[in-house]
Amino acid sequence: MLTMIWYSFLTKIKNINLIFWPLVFPFVLTTAMYFSIGQIQEADFETVRAAVVSQAEKADETFLLFLDSMEQDSDLLEVEKMPEQDAVYALEKGEISGIFYAGEKPSLTVGGSGFPQTILQMVLESYIEGKETLEDVASYHPEGMDAALASMKSYGDTVEQISLGGRTTDSTAQFFYAMIGMACLYGCFIGYGSAMELQANLTPLAARRCAGPANRMKMILTELLVSFTLHFVNMMILLAYMKYILRLEFSGSFAEMLPVLFLGSMIGVTMGMFITSMGRMGEGMKIGIMVGVSMIMSFMAGLMNGNMKNVIDRSFPVLNRINPAALISDAMYCINVYDSPERYFRDMMLLGGLCVLMAAGTFMIIRRKRYDSI
Amino acid sequence: MMIEIENLVKRYGNTLALDHFDLNVKEGEIYGLLGPNGSGKSTAINCMLSLLKYDRGSIRIMGEEMSPDNYRVKSQIGIVMQDVAVFEELNVYDNIDCFCSLYVRDRKKRKEMVEDAIRFAGLEEYRKSYPKKLSGGLLRRLNIACGIAHRPKLIILDEPTVAVDPQSRNRILEGICELNRQGSTIVYTSHYMEEVEQICTRIAIMDHGKNIAIGTKEELKSMIKTGETVTIEAVILGVDDLAEIRELPHVFDLHYEDQKLVVKCTRAKHNLLRILNYLQEKDIPFGRVFSELPTLNDVFLEITGKRLRD
Repeated sequence: MLTMIWYSFLTKIKNINLIFWPLVFPFVLTTAMYFSIGQIQEADFETVRAAVVSQAEKADETFLLFLDSMEQDSDLLEVEKMPEQDAVYALEKGEISGIFYAGEKPSLTVGGSGFPQTILQMVLESYIEGKETLEDVASYHPEGMDAALASMKSYGDTVEQISLGGRTTDSTAQFFYAMIGMACLYGCFIGYGSAMELQANLTPLAARRCAGPANRMKMILTELLVSFTLHFVNMMILLAYMKYILRLEFSGSFAEMLPVLFLGSMIGVTMGMFITSMGRMGEGMKIGIMVGVSMIMSFMAGLMNGNMKNVIDRSFPVLNRINPAALISDAMYCINVYDSPERYFRDMMLLGGLCVLMAAGTFMIIRRKRYDSI
Repeated sequence: MMIEIENLVKRYGNTLALDHFDLNVKEGEIYGLLGPNGSGKSTAINCMLSLLKYDRGSIRIMGEEMSPDNYRVKSQIGIVMQDVAVFEELNVYDNIDCFCSLYVRDRKKRKEMVEDAIRFAGLEEYRKSYPKKLSGGLLRRLNIACGIAHRPKLIILDEPTVAVDPQSRNRILEGICELNRQGSTIVYTSHYMEEVEQICTRIAIMDHGKNIAIGTKEELKSMIKTGETVTIEAVILGVDDLAEIRELPHVFDLHYEDQKLVVKCTRAKHNLLRILNYLQEKDIPFGRVFSELPTLNDVFLEITGKRLRD
């Protein structure tokens, strides 16, 4: 059996197709996203310069005060009062990114599109939304006006996320948790390779192996063990890369995250074996299904849109309970951000259940010894 | 008896792949299964190896009922698949060792067997080469080495010479005879009649999932009417000449096209001489002349009405 394990391991690590998708691709994607998100974060610290043009009697004094307050409270914004003509000239010269008009209804003019312009727009929108809220409070609950004003003053503080355990995270962490979910599911490519070497009706190589005297159960277990171990190691390397090299915000301990990777790797590998073993579709079709299923699950777990998981949680929560990528991502979130053992254990139980289900389904198909056609 | 197959029936949906197929292979034989593509040869092999389900019949190998779990019998069978079945990621040595390890646990013994197989297949120079670097012929030889390294009692070769150059083909055929001399019983499937004629001690001709004739090559050839085929090129004949040639003793069929005459005669002495005498008497000039004894293709043609390579 040791020789079988050795050769199974050797054939897998030398197969570039089996290694690229579960290991190299997530590495490349993680690195690319790290640098692209890093650039966005660096842009956060650049002060955005803008002009404010007060439009005579109609000027919204509250808005002017709001801008003053924003300027004083953070380095994000630098606003200078200017006559309209000078402001337009400065905008054209690129000295400022936009002009706020403090008229009856505050407005914004920008000279292009980009991160600074987006920030200016967000400042304006937050003021308008806040103003509407204050007007509502004044109309319906005038007694709460003082509290509302105080709340608006400390707007900057309220947007900071603070977990129950006191650990904080930025929104980009969600992307990397979903990335781990995706990488786990990409273990299906290793499972695919295993099934192709186990099912006599899929390849002549498998037929030759099945014609030999090796015990069927031993062969299945060997393939499963090697594939799973390989992918689990893949995942540990990826996590170590994220945590220790890129220094992403994974505040939980490495050991705490291993059980998630363990179950995630198992689900990825068995999913690949399951899809490959079912039916007599072409190889291209099977690979297409694997990529499609993995990507859809990862998308729903927040890979391309960080808010997607929350949207699904609100509208159709069952999907997040049966989507392994969402469960992996959520379990990582629980470990690193949201100290909620109940939620973590719920995720792990669901992952375990999915894992058993997938392994049982795979075993039922793959244990066949004779085939209808080859 | 090495292999006993009785009344084997295998259907793929509505297609009958094996139609009450029988086969008896004695120990020490090189048994040829000859038939055109789609005649059921590979299906029969896959049923023998317990890879395919079948609808009816029984298969006994080395006196034991064959089943997927009969590891004792399986351990004494070597299989060479029609398609090359080796690991692209392993070099020649490791490929042979990998397959041999399914049969032989003892590492030392296995090493010796792998070296023997490499020598047998003439792959000494390529032991560290990967399959991608090997030519088609060398790849086929590796395919065979992987199937025979564990020195099986029964070797099943399913069209092992498809798309192989003549040099490699000869080497493979010589190798098969050598394995047989060393004590292995061989089942050899092919649609190349020359190969089967060259190496097989007994032959079954298959068509539409059935054996249509079984015997040694001499026995098979004696089953048909054709004893000799005489071909004469560059000869100009009229209708009367053809009618007269057809009436010559032992001539039972003739074909004349593009100044080429092909005459089929039953088994008899002086068939060629009689035809040449006729042409001489009539003062008819002619070009090249040759005479052939019947081939397995003639056997197949006479029994089924079609050529083996159709």
